[in-house]
Amino acid sequence: MDATVKSSFIAEQPKAPAKPLVLWRPSAKTGLISWLTTVDHKRIGIMYGLFAIFFFLVGGIEALLIRLQLAVPNNDILTAHQYNTLFTMHGTTMIFLAVMPLGSAFFNFIMPLQIGARDVAFPRLNAFSLWTFVAGAIIVNIGWFLPEGAPDGGWFGYAPLTSKTFIPRHSIDFWVMGLQLLGVASIAAALNFIVTIINMRAPGLTMMRLPVFTWMTLITSFLIVLSFPAITIALVELMMDRQFGTNFFEVSNGGMPILWQHLFWIFGHPEVYILILPAMGIVSEILPTFARKPLFGYPIVVFSGACIGFLGFAVWSHHMFTTGMGTVATAAFSLATMAIAVPTGVKIFNWIGTIWGGHLKMRTPMMFALGFIWMFMIGGFSGVMHSAAPADAQQQDSYFVIAHFHYVLIGGSIFALLAAIHFWFPLMFGRKVSEFWGKLSFWAIFVGFNVTFFPMHFLGLNGMPRRTFTYDGNMGWNSANLIATVGAFILGVGIALYFAVVIYTFFKGEKTGRDPWDGRTLEWSIDTPPREYNFAVIPTVHARDAFWYEKHHQAEIAKEKAEHAQAEDAHGGIHMPFQSVWPLVASVGALIGGIAACYHNLAWSLVGLVILLAGIFLWALEGADGYHIHLDKDGNILDEDAHAKH
Amino acid sequence: MRLFSLLPSLSRWVRGAFAFGALALLTGCDYKFWRMDGPQSTIVVDGPVARSQLGVFYTTVAVTFVIFVLVSAVLAYATLKFKARDEADENAEPPEQSHGNPLIELGLIGVSVLALVIIAVPTLRGIWYTHDIPVEDKENAYVVEATGLQWWFRFTYPNEQIEGAGPLVTANELVIPAGRPVRINLRTTDVIHSFWVPKLAGKVDMIPNRGNFLWLQADEPGYFWGQCAEYCGDSHAVMRFRVIALGPREFNEWLEQQSSPARSVQAVADANDAPQAQFASWKTEWKRNEKGYTEEFDLAPLDSWRAKQFPEKNEDPALIAKGREVFRNKNCITCHQVRGHEGAGLTAPDLTHVGSRTTIAGGLLENNAEQLARWLTHPNEVKPGNKMWTGIGAMNGYASVDKYGTVTARHIELNSDDVVALVAYLQSLK
Amino acid sequence: MSSHATATLDHHNDPTTSTGIPNKKLLMWAFLASDCMFFGTLISTHMIYRLHPPPGNPDPRAVFDIPLTSFSTFILLMSSLMMALAVNAIQKGNVRSMRFSLLTTIFFGLIFLGCQVYEFSHFVHDKGLTISNSILGSTFYTLTGTHGLHVLIGVIWLTAMYFYSFTGRVTEKQAIDVESMGLYWHFVDIVWIVIFTVVYLLEYL
Repeated sequence: MDATVKSSFIAEQPKAPAKPLVLWRPSAKTGLISWLTTVDHKRIGIMYGLFAIFFFLVGGIEALLIRLQLAVPNNDILTAHQYNTLFTMHGTTMIFLAVMPLGSAFFNFIMPLQIGARDVAFPRLNAFSLWTFVAGAIIVNIGWFLPEGAPDGGWFGYAPLTSKTFIPRHSIDFWVMGLQLLGVASIAAALNFIVTIINMRAPGLTMMRLPVFTWMTLITSFLIVLSFPAITIALVELMMDRQFGTNFFEVSNGGMPILWQHLFWIFGHPEVYILILPAMGIVSEILPTFARKPLFGYPIVVFSGACIGFLGFAVWSHHMFTTGMGTVATAAFSLATMAIAVPTGVKIFNWIGTIWGGHLKMRTPMMFALGFIWMFMIGGFSGVMHSAAPADAQQQDSYFVIAHFHYVLIGGSIFALLAAIHFWFPLMFGRKVSEFWGKLSFWAIFVGFNVTFFPMHFLGLNGMPRRTFTYDGNMGWNSANLIATVGAFILGVGIALYFAVVIYTFFKGEKTGRDPWDGRTLEWSIDTPPREYNFAVIPTVHARDAFWYEKHHQAEIAKEKAEHAQAEDAHGGIHMPFQSVWPLVASVGALIGGIAACYHNLAWSLVGLVILLAGIFLWALEGADGYHIHLDKDGNILDEDAHAKH
Repeated sequence: MRLFSLLPSLSRWVRGAFAFGALALLTGCDYKFWRMDGPQSTIVVDGPVARSQLGVFYTTVAVTFVIFVLVSAVLAYATLKFKARDEADENAEPPEQSHGNPLIELGLIGVSVLALVIIAVPTLRGIWYTHDIPVEDKENAYVVEATGLQWWFRFTYPNEQIEGAGPLVTANELVIPAGRPVRINLRTTDVIHSFWVPKLAGKVDMIPNRGNFLWLQADEPGYFWGQCAEYCGDSHAVMRFRVIALGPREFNEWLEQQSSPARSVQAVADANDAPQAQFASWKTEWKRNEKGYTEEFDLAPLDSWRAKQFPEKNEDPALIAKGREVFRNKNCITCHQVRGHEGAGLTAPDLTHVGSRTTIAGGLLENNAEQLARWLTHPNEVKPGNKMWTGIGAMNGYASVDKYGTVTARHIELNSDDVVALVAYLQSLK
Repeated sequence: MSSHATATLDHHNDPTTSTGIPNKKLLMWAFLASDCMFFGTLISTHMIYRLHPPPGNPDPRAVFDIPLTSFSTFILLMSSLMMALAVNAIQKGNVRSMRFSLLTTIFFGLIFLGCQVYEFSHFVHDKGLTISNSILGSTFYTLTGTHGLHVLIGVIWLTAMYFYSFTGRVTEKQAIDVESMGLYWHFVDIVWIVIFTVVYLLEYL
């Protein structure tokens, strides 16, 4: 791709520029309006991150209440219904409102920087994804403040328990509608990332030179695009059952609840990889940076990621080994599940290969990344134990499973995301977390996490089932439960410490300049915090670990950049997209319509629908226009050329 | 079954490893816990199906443990060896920028596949073995049907037909012959439940419109704990049951006794010897979820069960007769069946021989006078949302509850005399 | 740069993107992949219940009206043809011709929707198949209704584009907008062919 041709195309003008059809074009650069109408991927990423951290803490408090109830046998702090609501919301919150959007935060912020782009392919669609996610999050949680109560059918919502017969309250409708909107948001965001990664790479950045995190973003996005439809349709069917009396899961008219499980897990298993693949990408960035050598076996790491994504669609029924699938199906899914261990194991070998022979700088992100390998490995091994169907018959729905997936989701996803926050914090905000406090929070989290979840393996093997609000003292579960509760509070203190340190750092932390970690990929090549235009000059990529190459070929790169800057300036300067209010309006419409639909209220549903459609219509009408900026030598904006351009 | 002969040695080794790992994690806490021999243990098991599942589990543990030790050792070594010693070391020339070694990668992939094959072979054998009763044992198998309901289990014996009353039905305590394979057909009338007796077999779900089954076998006569393992609504945690395995003679006696209609207590000559109502001595204030069993019961549960098969001493026929009347007047009969007496309902547990069971309220509470009184007076605290409390459809339970859980009216009020009489009546139903 | 401005636009290669595929086209293709899964799930649901019909499930052959549905299928196919012509016209910069083709596409789309409305009301009132009285009704109306919703969205989109073209803002340079819309429309058409085959015709094999 020749950069000259590229900019000339952008600069091209229609012969008679038509006046844009714009009702209101916000242009504030600071303040609330600027955040609500932003289309900047970095600001959207930060907002995803803030919402995710908020819900992560909410989910954490829910978890602590659960552990409090289970600290001793026959406890009565919570009622059965409160407990069931809490575990439902803990699962739903952590998966859909914490880990996924926290991943999304980094997809948004980091991925375009890693591919040398100035924004994602569809900036306004990106804003729509964010606000629709917020709308979905509100609907899922709205029950806390209403007499209906929050959802209490489990995060998996198995029919027919979630049918109107068994839970007539609207709590389930909130869950259905909230998840529906979260699905829309996820799919829209994923489509955007797919187009961005495939189409907006800097010149010379071939697919096999992409940073691994960007690769995992791409694979995750494909998983979202292909797996979310299954749950969307399942939720549509459940909603139709609840609202219009259809028979999809209505047993008395021949409905088969097992169908819900299949549809749910066809989504649900890829979802597991949606949660873990970004984590693997993050770790694959951090280890090479702090080992100061390239990722070991890059092609195999990428290929195994793709392989995991692909196999992820072929193993959903291992969540259903106890549903009486028959021998052949059970055996097939058992073997397919074991097969996934191979590409996963390959990644672990490659991470170890990466640090082998390096000069490891033991910074906080590196601690979390190494912790990730250990903990994820344990989670992986208990996963292999589940893949053996006969063993799983004893483990399914017991605390052993809880231990397993918390090792994968906390020890895996959360450790990696916490590592990512430390790792990219200097890039995002130009400040660095103190090593002492960072490491202290790491050890608190690490110890608390293991003390909480390691005993749960034994609880499960000793026959304690999941989702139970109480247990008797004669089952041999007392000490392990107490230990787990103590651990949970240590973990809670660790997490609180972690975020306290992060907040302190945001205001008072040590300031850093460009590239504090001796980074390897393009995001480190720009100012911290990044300017709104990201790259003063779109880089040309000559190798994998593009920035590392730049640092070692400075003369060549400087010459190249000067040429490109000149060319771009000649063609009108840097193109920036206008802010827009319509994605927000459309999402507000979805929120109103969604809540009204939960109550089966036709009038307000239509109001919401009309706002949604009007938002989309005006969004299309205002067009994807933008303006041009020119920079001085230090990257400051000299002037803005506010004429609308196509 | 060659696989199983390996078990004892393997089992000791792995349990040792577990115990060591656990002790390393936390020294000094209740060591009994780490023995993993609780009443619902999947590690100390009492039947061939659970043993087969345990064998597969130990295989996976052994394989993954070896890999874990090796990989962690390498990881730990690499971390310590290649750690930068000081700031100067950190800022030294970067190490060689190597990109990987395909031969090592392929080798490791090969080893991983091999390790998985070691797991896959017993897994496949286990899948077929645990799925259905081995062909040679099929003729010897005993068939029972288990139905899950919110939140209790109904057990039906299709082979034991009672004249004019259909098959023998009981609730929450499944009595099976020991030493014989038992096929359990799994049904549900409402939501999904899961049938799990860890010491005898892994779980299989009870799913509407789906004919699932499992098989299990108890090596010896014994008393086993079971529990619903699929979230099934408010009181999922307290949906429990028991399995009692008996030798052939005892099992047949039990069948015979259960097939007879409910017992009617005749007036004894010396009615004055009968104990008066002990209501005052019973605990009447209960916290939610408070434990409902006594330690003595736990020590020898099978013996406790056997003792339950005989009428209590000092029964008070007058009181029992009054209890029977309360049972009829307070609407219990619309849901509960007491074969031979007035009770005719089919939606709730069959109480024809409820006095001979060791537990009530779905395996949750010990079947004694105090707990029975607690269950009758605090149904919603014992088992939130249960149908004795809320009723079914147009049929009123104790109270009217709206969908938010607010109680708007009470229907069935039991005074303390009623409770004492009811307890006496139910306990007489041996 | 004038050489670029006067050169004929290459509608199959966008030099601003890494792959040469316009972003909007790639977005639409990725979305259609997702939409395939939506319809795949709905069709699977229908097929699963077709294999496991509960007792008393109505016989689809007693309900369906194949001649009518064949007619509406044909109409939808013709609308795809007109859509293709519209894309072709705008790529050549012929806005008037595009407008005519769009109008025809909209017209055919509306006929299809009309047939579906008629079909639904006929099934409900004369054949007694409602969304809640049987599994067949539930899966059939949900599946074909979802497809109908797709057609409706397409018709709204086409209509919006039709009127927008009078503002003079739809030129050869915006051909990609019409083309993406065309991709969507063809997809909806293809899905209908699948539905017509596996939901309707399969019953007569």
